[in-house]
Amino acid sequence: MARYLIGRLLSLIFVLFVVSLITFTLMHSVPGGPFDEGKQRLPDAAKANILRKYGLDQPIHVQYAKYMWSALHLDFGIPYQVPTETVTSLIAKTWFITFQVGMMTVALAFGTGILLGAIAAYRRGSWIDTGVTFLSMLGTTLPNFVVALWLILAFAYGLKILPSGGWNEPNDWLIPGVFSKNWILPVLAYALLPMAVVARYTRASMVDALQSDYVRTARAKGLRDRSILIHHVMKNAAIPMVTALGPIVPDLITGSIFIEAVFRIPGLGKYFVTSTFNRDYPMIMALILLIALLWGVTYIITDLAYVALDPRVRLGGTMK
Amino acid sequence: MSKNRNWIVLCLIVLLSMIISSCAPAATPAPPTTAPKVAEPTKAPEPTKAPEPTKAPEPTKAPEPTKAPEPTKAPAPTAAPAATGGDTTVLGAKLPADAAPYNMQTWVEPCDIKGNHITFDFQVQVYQRFCGSDLFQDQLVNLDKDFNVIPNSAEKWEVSKDGLTWTFYIKKGLQWSDGTPLTAQDYEATFRYLPDPKHAWDFAWFYAGVLKNWDEIVAGEKPVTELGVKAVDDYTLQFTTKVPWPAFPAMMQFGFGLSKKQMEKYGPLYNSKVETSLSSGPFKLAKLEPGKTIELVANDKYKGFRPPKLQKVTVQYMDMTTAFAAFQNKEIDHLGYEWISPADMDIIQKDPVLKKNYFPHFGDFRTDYLVMDTFNKPFNDINVRKAFAKAVDRDAIVKNVLTPIKGMPAYAFLMPGFPASDKEGKLKDLQAYDCKAAKELLAKAGYPDGKGFPKQEMWLRNEGAAWQAVFQAVAASISSCLGVQIEVSNKDYKVYMDALNAKPTKLTFGAISYGMDYMDPSNMLGIWLSTGRHSWKNDKFDSMVKEASSMTGDLVKRNQMFMDAEKILVDDVGGIFIDHRWLGDLFQPYIMGDCFRKPDSIGIAAWHWGNDWCWGDFYVSKDVLNVKTYRNK
Amino acid sequence: MTVTSTPKMAELTEASLSKRQRTLWSDALRRFYHNRLAMFGLALVLIFVIMAVFADFLAPYRYDRADFSKVLQFPFVDAQYLLGGDEVGRDFLSRLIYGARTSLTVGLAVQLIAFGIGVPLGAFAGYRGGAVDFVVMRIVDVMTAFPGLLFAIFLITLWGGGLEKVILVLGLTSWIGALRLTRAQFLSLREKEFVGAARAIGATQRRIIFRHILPNALTPLLVAVSFGIPAAIFAEASLSFLGIGVNDPLPSWGKMVGVSGAYIRVYWHVGLFPTILIALTMLGFSFVGDGLRDALDPKLTI
Repeated sequence: MARYLIGRLLSLIFVLFVVSLITFTLMHSVPGGPFDEGKQRLPDAAKANILRKYGLDQPIHVQYAKYMWSALHLDFGIPYQVPTETVTSLIAKTWFITFQVGMMTVALAFGTGILLGAIAAYRRGSWIDTGVTFLSMLGTTLPNFVVALWLILAFAYGLKILPSGGWNEPNDWLIPGVFSKNWILPVLAYALLPMAVVARYTRASMVDALQSDYVRTARAKGLRDRSILIHHVMKNAAIPMVTALGPIVPDLITGSIFIEAVFRIPGLGKYFVTSTFNRDYPMIMALILLIALLWGVTYIITDLAYVALDPRVRLGGTMK
Repeated sequence: MSKNRNWIVLCLIVLLSMIISSCAPAATPAPPTTAPKVAEPTKAPEPTKAPEPTKAPEPTKAPEPTKAPEPTKAPAPTAAPAATGGDTTVLGAKLPADAAPYNMQTWVEPCDIKGNHITFDFQVQVYQRFCGSDLFQDQLVNLDKDFNVIPNSAEKWEVSKDGLTWTFYIKKGLQWSDGTPLTAQDYEATFRYLPDPKHAWDFAWFYAGVLKNWDEIVAGEKPVTELGVKAVDDYTLQFTTKVPWPAFPAMMQFGFGLSKKQMEKYGPLYNSKVETSLSSGPFKLAKLEPGKTIELVANDKYKGFRPPKLQKVTVQYMDMTTAFAAFQNKEIDHLGYEWISPADMDIIQKDPVLKKNYFPHFGDFRTDYLVMDTFNKPFNDINVRKAFAKAVDRDAIVKNVLTPIKGMPAYAFLMPGFPASDKEGKLKDLQAYDCKAAKELLAKAGYPDGKGFPKQEMWLRNEGAAWQAVFQAVAASISSCLGVQIEVSNKDYKVYMDALNAKPTKLTFGAISYGMDYMDPSNMLGIWLSTGRHSWKNDKFDSMVKEASSMTGDLVKRNQMFMDAEKILVDDVGGIFIDHRWLGDLFQPYIMGDCFRKPDSIGIAAWHWGNDWCWGDFYVSKDVLNVKTYRNK
Repeated sequence: MTVTSTPKMAELTEASLSKRQRTLWSDALRRFYHNRLAMFGLALVLIFVIMAVFADFLAPYRYDRADFSKVLQFPFVDAQYLLGGDEVGRDFLSRLIYGARTSLTVGLAVQLIAFGIGVPLGAFAGYRGGAVDFVVMRIVDVMTAFPGLLFAIFLITLWGGGLEKVILVLGLTSWIGALRLTRAQFLSLREKEFVGAARAIGATQRRIIFRHILPNALTPLLVAVSFGIPAAIFAEASLSFLGIGVNDPLPSWGKMVGVSGAYIRVYWHVGLFPTILIALTMLGFSFVGDGLRDALDPKLTI
């Protein structure tokens, strides 16, 4: 097990290297740079000055080498968009908030989703089942910014009981330091889609599991449904669920640009779009490496989860 | 069985609710279609607005500071009443009779949460300015409602006989918010900072060919001290130009002076931190949380010409889709036209109160037009270009798709009202809609009924939904008239500009706009010089524009030369002109100020471009006490 | 004594031989046919497919024909523009019908690429394990490292937009999901008894993968496909939001929804109809996916 883990971690590092190389190349192949020529044409000398200022006048492999060297020292440069901070401090500051939003969303989406999906699977064919499946379809159809705007119009401008945006605003604490009114609408809007997806996959997996022979056997044996559910069904249903739903977590904790923009949350989400648009190369590299790291770690965890859930699974190969 | 019935019932319910909810005047679910629009430099600083129409005396009138600026109230620096109620500002001036108490004299402005902002100052980086920018200095000159250049921090200026030396006399008594005086050395240091190769200013084209040694310094061939700017003494600033440039005073609309002391101590980004920020303008920095809010408060040490009646200006970052709803909810006080979607504009036009408080104006005389690569096929043939120009039904498009409140059809480059513009419409027929003639021209070029004409991709420069619709209409108009195939592709901003500016250009066919930087034809027509961003060359045009730009003395001849040059541009179809834009501002009804509520000399009441003195004029009226705004939530 | 010795026996044997073969697929088809909801979904899907294929005949106007006097016209006021006009003055009904073509093309093509690459690779990786699995997973790790949207933005900015590029880019960013799903299924299924049995009687690897494991792995894959199509349509909509989707005047429901934001407070029809159509398409594919899953589940008895 330990050898396996080390192997995975090493390969993760290798992946990060490859990712950095691909990103760097792609990034610099896209036309344009961190400067604007919206009006008239910049004199060639002026453009050269700008490129020199950002170190972009050097050959690309030199730039890459320089970047990787600093990156290995955990210095990811200075973002062009916020030159008064470093990339690390900017990401730390903004991701902290995005992470909070994401974790709350994960909790809400998975908690409610699994619950609803399980109930629907258990009571298959009933109105609960229909309702849940239906709601989950709705959840996947509605874009989250549509939901966000409706929520704002209804609760913030209409009923005026919740704030229309902001994060941890001094006036919006319900329980100071513990729970803020600012959290409610964004998390709700953000969680709707993943909740729907989680519910649907839970239901499908559990329905599958509920059909299986061992459940029939257990029922025939006279075990109570509840213990069947918990001890047998959930474990078996979990595997396809982990596969399908595992990736949702890193997705959520890296934030949604739409949600953060609409609710004015000063998080990391917007930097994904603005960094690309503004050709903020240090930020782009850092963001992508961060995501690569998150996904890599998520895979390792889900693969370990398979082993924990299904004793027949061997990570190394077939039985032979 | 019941499962299926449940399903069907539920599906009907959801369909029904979708219909109902979409009808409800609720959602503005606009996805961020407008990825951060890089505001043209003349748009970003809210204060710089509205150039002006027909009546404007030609800008070469600059040397005569005939108009006195708004009466400079003598501030009493000692009397700083607490910023709470009362009727006196921190500068000791009395508020107007109908004004709300001083603690309600606040102003909230929206800012795009996806903006790329690092500085408050034009002289640092133009395209990366915070909202609420350029309020920490007064520039050398300003513009009045009729676009005349008026004194600002410079009280007068004169030009030498040969037209190459401009002397500006800085007003005495101006000071920074720490009490130190504002001197010509501040301006000198700032101007020397501009072309510095280490600075790499993003607006470095602005003074190219104008200020002496500018180009050499930018190229690193000469030190910054050789720039044609000199502080002769503490209150006299002298500029030396490369060629005579009568429009120079108008360019000083951007003549801001940063603090030499702060630049040396903390670097040019000193205004981006509250502790090191220093202001000689009407406001100073109180809070800076990029992505959240920015707070500016009235500068009690201010001695300039626009002492603010407002106590605080707050910039609120928000998404463009929620701004209008926030405005209706009275969370913000002012919306520029770029924040107003077509549906919102409809609502505004239909609501009497909103309509009355929407003030359209010329803005920066922005013209939308199509660019072509005239050096290569198929647009190297004048007949093709003319055919395309005559295939655009501008009237119908502007009337129906753009709507008259947002623009007017364009048949030439300069918007009527701009100096040297074609006010009488003499150039109209050159590009006017005439489908029959267009078809004949295309046939003459060898593509009868569009047969054999290569499929074109019209590039758009990251336009929002509204402008996409306009340009799609243009493409549809051309396609249906000529039978050519045109696809419209909305490109990333930088990809577009990179392709356009490349020499040779990589952009064959696209749509773009340009608005003035200062009010002189040398600026607007200057972009069509063959050294510029367009792939069009006409030697006669080049020589006429160059000559007229530095022509002193005979203003009539200069004007006529520009007009003749424009005729060449329109006739040779260097660009296909689509429309001139009407910009506009929406204010809350309780925001007052003669600067925008009283009309100019041709009857347009609006916050005109370049009228930064309006910041000394705005105030909140007593009416605000009767409504629930963010002030009294 | 042989089976056919007595007349009665012979009759029975005769009868059983002539009864139709019950395979997994014919069973599934029959079950699907009896599933009302699935048939409803299928009907919806067929309607859209017909709309897409026969758009030239069904639509009253070409999708790029603009009449500027009918800009943003409301539906049901004009006999010619039945569902109203869009923001450029084109017939909305025609654009919706042609939009079916674009949206379905995107949805199907992307899924084809995604599953065409993902399933075989995933099956192989999941079954073989070991080094093969390792390499494939590393490639997947690298691919997933790029947030889909960002990667798509990069690629489209680099290669340009348009329908073909959008499909290519979306396909390139979606095959991983299919791969992971397949791989996970194979990882668990290969340990099952029937696989051991098949191996014991000497079945080749390919036969085991395709004939034995894959049908059993199909269920979540089908659900994924049925979700993937509207997901692809949505992904294309996201790209349109950022201004880098299909080029005009090609209509796509996603783009229409994207553009509608600026108009929807007054001109509700610009956003409502494409949204409904997307939702119905999604519903249709979901019901079909559900139905297929129920039909193919060998543990279900009718």
